[in-house]
This record gives sequence, C-alpha cells and structure tokens, in this order.
Amino acid sequence: MDSKAPDLAVRHLSVRYGEQVALSDVSLDLEGGQVLALIGPSGCGKSTFLRVLNRLVDRSLEVRYEGEVVLGGIRILDPDTDLVALRRAVGMVFQQPSAFPFSVFDNVAYGPRLQGIRSSHRLRSIVESSLKKAALWDEVRGKLRRPAASLSGGQQQRLCIARALAVAPRVLLLDEPTAALDPLSTTKIEELILSLRGDYTLILVTHNLQQAARISDVTAFFRQGLLVEIAPTREMFTAPKCAETEEFLTGRYE
Amino acid sequence: MKPVTGRPRGDHLLYRVVWLGALLLLMLGFAIAAILVWGTVKFVIDHGLNPSLLGTIYQPTHDQFGLLPFIAGSLVVTMIAIVVALPLALSVAVTVIATLPRQMQMIRQILSGLVAIPSVVFGWWGLSLLVPSIRWISGRPGFSLLAGGLVLAIMILPTLSLLSINALDRVSVRWVEGSLALGATPDQTLGRLILSVSRIPLLEASILAVGRALGETMAVQMVIGGRVLLPHGLLSPGATLTTQLLTDISLLPPGIPGHYVLDFMALLLLVAMYGMVVLVERTRRWSL
Amino acid sequence: MRGQTWHRLALVGAVLVFTLFIAMIGDLVWQSLGVLSWHFLWSPPSEMGHGGIGPELLNTLVMVGIAALISLPLGLAGAIFRVEYRGAPGFLKVFDRVRFTFLSLPTIVIGLLVYQWVVVELGWPLSIRSGIVALVVMNWPFVVNIGIEALSGVPDTSREASMALGATSSQTLMRIVFPSALPALIAGLGVSTARLLGESAALIFTAGINVAVHWSWSMPGETLAVHLWYLRTESLAPHANAEAAATGVVLLGLVALVLYLTQKIAHWLKPRDYSRKSA
Repeated sequence: MDSKAPDLAVRHLSVRYGEQVALSDVSLDLEGGQVLALIGPSGCGKSTFLRVLNRLVDRSLEVRYEGEVVLGGIRILDPDTDLVALRRAVGMVFQQPSAFPFSVFDNVAYGPRLQGIRSSHRLRSIVESSLKKAALWDEVRGKLRRPAASLSGGQQQRLCIARALAVAPRVLLLDEPTAALDPLSTTKIEELILSLRGDYTLILVTHNLQQAARISDVTAFFRQGLLVEIAPTREMFTAPKCAETEEFLTGRYE
Repeated sequence: MKPVTGRPRGDHLLYRVVWLGALLLLMLGFAIAAILVWGTVKFVIDHGLNPSLLGTIYQPTHDQFGLLPFIAGSLVVTMIAIVVALPLALSVAVTVIATLPRQMQMIRQILSGLVAIPSVVFGWWGLSLLVPSIRWISGRPGFSLLAGGLVLAIMILPTLSLLSINALDRVSVRWVEGSLALGATPDQTLGRLILSVSRIPLLEASILAVGRALGETMAVQMVIGGRVLLPHGLLSPGATLTTQLLTDISLLPPGIPGHYVLDFMALLLLVAMYGMVVLVERTRRWSL
Repeated sequence: MRGQTWHRLALVGAVLVFTLFIAMIGDLVWQSLGVLSWHFLWSPPSEMGHGGIGPELLNTLVMVGIAALISLPLGLAGAIFRVEYRGAPGFLKVFDRVRFTFLSLPTIVIGLLVYQWVVVELGWPLSIRSGIVALVVMNWPFVVNIGIEALSGVPDTSREASMALGATSSQTLMRIVFPSALPALIAGLGVSTARLLGESAALIFTAGINVAVHWSWSMPGETLAVHLWYLRTESLAPHANAEAAATGVVLLGLVALVLYLTQKIAHWLKPRDYSRKSA
C-alpha cells in the first residue's frame, strides 16, 4: 500500500453462516481517507461487513463468502491473503472496550512487540505518539504502568484506538465504538475520528444516526443483508433516494 | 426502639441446625489435627527427639526412624507427575479452547467422567502395562519411582485438563479478537495473551494437582516397589509417605513400639496439604 | 494461516491423551473378557480361581449408599451455613481453610485415624460399620464443597426478591434456593458417590480385605476397589490379573452408571429455556 489512505472497492460480496445469509451481493466504493458510516437495523449485516474487511469473519462457524473486496490494491478475500499483514494494515475497535488485562503501556505496545520491536526507547515513542493521536496522552501520562482496567470506559475505548494505531494501520474499522459510552466520552471519540479522517480510511458501524450525520462523509444503509442505499452523508440525510431509507432515518421503520 | 436483627423470627431452628453442621465439620477437622499432633507427642515421649529422624535408615522396631527416603520419594513422584501432566493438560486445554469450539461441552463431560476413574484402576494399568514396559526398556525390575510418577501423571491428567480448560476459558473472546485484529498470529495470541492472562489460575490448578498427586496412595503403592531407599535414579524402587503408611499400618499396629511414627508421617502430610491450601489462597489474592 | 505451530502441537498432545485413556480402558475390558460372566458377578471370591465378586458388589453398594446418605445432611448443613448465613469474616477464613485441608487430606490418613480411634480405641471390629465411618469422614468435606458450589450458583437477586416479598430465610431457602440449586446438587452428589465407589486406601484397615460367609454389619466388608487392589498385589489366585481387570470393569461400570443417572436427573430437573431454541 502507498502512503495515501487506501481506497475500498467491494464487488458482489455475499456472506453466509451455514444456511443463514448475512450479506448478499453488496457492491460499493469508498475513496481513501473518508469516513464511511454503516447504518441499519440490528442483524442487517453491517458488523459482518466490517469483520470481512479484516477477515475476522473467518472465526465464525461454517462461514462462506464470495465476491471481491479490494482494499488499497490488496484482494483481501483471496485464500492466500496473508491475514497477519492484512490485520496490521486494518485496525479494529470493538463495541465493548477490549483493553487487555495488562498495563496501559503494555496494551499499546502489544502490537509493536508482536512485530519484534524490543527496544524500550522505540516502544516508548510509539506508545506516546499513539496515545497522542488517540487524544489520551494528557490523561494517562505518568499512569502508563497502571492496569488498563483502572481507566474509565471512554478512556479504555480510546486506549483501544491507540492500541490499533500503534500498529500503523491505514484503515480503521470501528464497530459501534460509542455504544457503551456516556455522552461526554462519545463526543471525545467523535472528535478523535474527525481528526483521523484523511490520514486513515475509517469505516464506522453505528446505531446512532446523529453520529453518522455528524462525522461521516458517506453513509451506507443496510437492511437484511442488502445494501439499500449508499450516498454522501449530506444527501442521504436530506434527500434519501429510497423510500425505505427515509422511513429508517425518520424513525418510522418497523 | 428495638434493635434491628439480621434474621427474621421463625428462622432460629434452621439457623441452629446448619450452624451445628458447620461447627461439627470444624470440630472434626480440628480433631484430626489434634489426634495427629497427640500421636506425634506420644512418639516424642516414647523415643525422644530421635536423631535418626533426619537419617535414611527406617527400622521402626529398632528405634530407627529415618523419614527422608519417604519425603524424597513423595517429592520425586509428585515432580514427575506434574512435569509430565502439565504440558499434556495444557495441550488438551488449548485444543478445546482454541481449536474445537463446538465440541467443547462434550469433551468437558468426557473429562469429568475420567476424573472419577478409581485410583486402583490406574494402579492396575500401571502394573499391567507401565511396569512391564519399563522393565523391557531398561532391563531393571520396572517397579520404580518413574512408574509411580507416570501413573500419577495419568491419574491427575483429567483433573488438571479440566482446571486448565476453566482457566483458559476465563480469557474473554473480546481480548482474543482484539489481539487477532492487531495482526497477532494464533500462536502469538496464545503465548502473549491467553497463557499470560491465565497464568495465576493455571498455577492454582497445578497446586491442586500437586496436592492430589502427593496424597495418592493406592496407585503409587502398586507400582513403586516399596523399598525404603533414598532415590538414586528414576528407575530405582522407592516408597512415599502415603505408600509407607499403607504398608506399616499392618506391620506396626498400635501397641507395637514405633507405631506413633505413623501419626508423625500423617501429620507431615496434613501440614503439606495445609500449606497448599494457604498457597492457593495467596494465588487467588494475586489474581484479583 | 501462519503461526499455528503450537496449536498443532497441542492438538497432537490432546489426541495422545485421549488415545491413552481409550487404550487404558480398552486394555482393561480386553483382559477382563476371559472371566467376566454372570457367575463372576454373583459368586464369592476364591483363592483357587473361578471366584467372583458377589459379596464385594453387595458390600460396595451398601457401604457407599449408607455413607452417602449419612454425609448428605451433615455436608449440606455446613454448606447452607457457609452460603446463606456466612458468619463473621474471621470464622469464614478458618472454616474455608479447615474444609479445604480436610478435603485434600490423603484418604490413607483418614484410614489411619479411623483405625486408631474406631477400631482400636472403641473396639469396633474391622467391619462394614467401621468402613462406613471412614467413608463418611472422607465424604463429609466433599459434600460441603458440592453444597457450597451449588448454593452459590443461585443468584442473589432471587434471594433478595423472595425476602422483599416478606419470606423468612428458611422459606427462601426451601422455596427458592433449593429448587434452583437442586440440579447442581444432584450432579455433585453423583460425583461424590463415584469417588466413594472408587475409594480403597481408607477402607483397607477399617473394612478389611476379607468377606464374611454371612453378611453382617460387624463382619469384614471388602469393597470392589479394595478387592481389585488385593487381587493385583497380594492374591495368589490363578487368573488374578484377569479377575482384577473384571473387577475394574464392574467398578468403572458402576461409576459410569452413577454419573450418567445423576447427570440425567440433574438435566431433567433443570428449568428449560424455551426461548433459546427459536432464536
């Protein structure tokens, strides 16, 4: 991948778990450096879509997929794709903060250490710059040896973002990153996402429509495994093309 | 105003009954310790603080009470057991947790069934397969510390595997996925996350397994050879505190001088078990 | 995916473990085939060969059954006190240490103590009743543990809900806590009974290694596990190894039967969750 945040191109992507269809024939394009918000009712396939992009979906039982997904020139559904390299390039943040039961420092240093970085000087500079990018540095400096569990939920979530950034990914997947957080922490995460925009391609699953409207460039609406509509966010929220999208956005859905 | 009491009225009978039950257990536990201490005191009264206790010659009817061979034997077979069983139990646990997600429940049930296999069955198996194999390979009699340790290893395997599965199972899926999403390979996730997070529960599991191995009598007695010797090599026959108790209760019945050395040996075992209980308590505190 | 070397090694280890146990049980069954028969199950043992395990089977069932029945209320009382009333923190610590130490005490030590105090001091014979005492002492802390685990599995919210409706703690215990804890309790009792079935070290010097011609409380009562040990270490009977294997098969069969039945009953008593299936 080059230094520019990678473009995403999805062609005819279908995913099923056993007999159950999770995604069917999804195609979309996203320019590098933009924020894509995925919205839709529960179980519509948005999380599956996210987990396809770093192939974490492979962990699910009896999963099968077809189609093509190209991320920054890498065809990520190829059977011989190097999953380790892919996952280093594509960071992910989960709904529940998944900070490891280690210290703050060891959480952020986990990824770099995996890559064989041993020098404590380099580790420290990576940890510091990642925490700064995640807007957490000012709150945790001097507390790097404390257990991550001693941080608040919102801080833990930003720690997870810092942890993902420490591996120097080009893409960040965010699976409802603020669903478990209070409004103040949510604002901080949203500001953070906006500050990362441009350097990273960000794909965000959210249940919070205002959040999608506030921080995304492009919004995609999924329903029952189908991509109903994808459009620049402003267009989508002011003049949706499909009646279904409008119903969902105005809360009259189901 | 009436003081607020913890228990509503009408509960006193139940409370008293269960209180009595708890008290009885405590009293029995203390009585056991007291009897062993009392036996040890009688031993000291009969034989003084016998200097032979620290020696290696054990002839209780001739005032020679060297317990070192048994203590060493107990330690050696227990060490063999845990060294052999721990990697295998971890293998089972890793396979169940990381490799076979669906079959997990079934394997747990099979293991808890295997836990219930009586120890004499392991002893029978040691006699019919292990001892002849060791004899065939080494050209020695086969009854040995090694045979005792291996029988114990197999005996504690189901328990240790189950405890290890429970230990690894406490590692949250969120952490595992978080690690994989950072580009960790499955092996890296196992070594740096799963085993690292569960090291305290694994330590606790090992202590419990050591306790079980140290206290086992029958299976070891059947294959160890029953010779009062300081261990000089894994293939030499030996004896442990428990196997010697089994042999000597009939050879040294009460009334025969030297009988109370048995209480002293039992007291050593009790103290060892108490030490392990306290150790497990400590490890639990670390893991908090 | 790369980086799975340790996982593959672990798989090899796990397969090895299960192969080992299958081979072990297979060998036991295989060697027992020559002597296992109805005749073997019902006849008395004989040093001349062609003996059986009839009395041992009866002794085992009687002793284990009675010991389990006696230790059940004793153990449950302790467990109820520990979980429902707790007592002072200092008491709890002592109680827990005593019960865990008691639980991990080698059974040969329990054999020694019962021999010294029941057989020698009280003058009871080496007999079925002395053996039952040894089994009760051994099983007591185990039942306490089972009870504690089963009762602590009941969420506190159920207790609080019941108390909030004005129930006394004994009513709560009988109507809420016991019914919810029952499946775990029964499964645990199965495990403790299986443990008693396999016990031998505590019985050799309390119940003895002989069987009486006429069954009596005060006559020696060798059990299956003790018989297996005796056959394989002391006996001069021809086919002693095969008879030991056959005894082992019967013993394993009994253990498996107890575990299976208690699990079945526990499963049957468990409140079923119908909402799960449709999801």
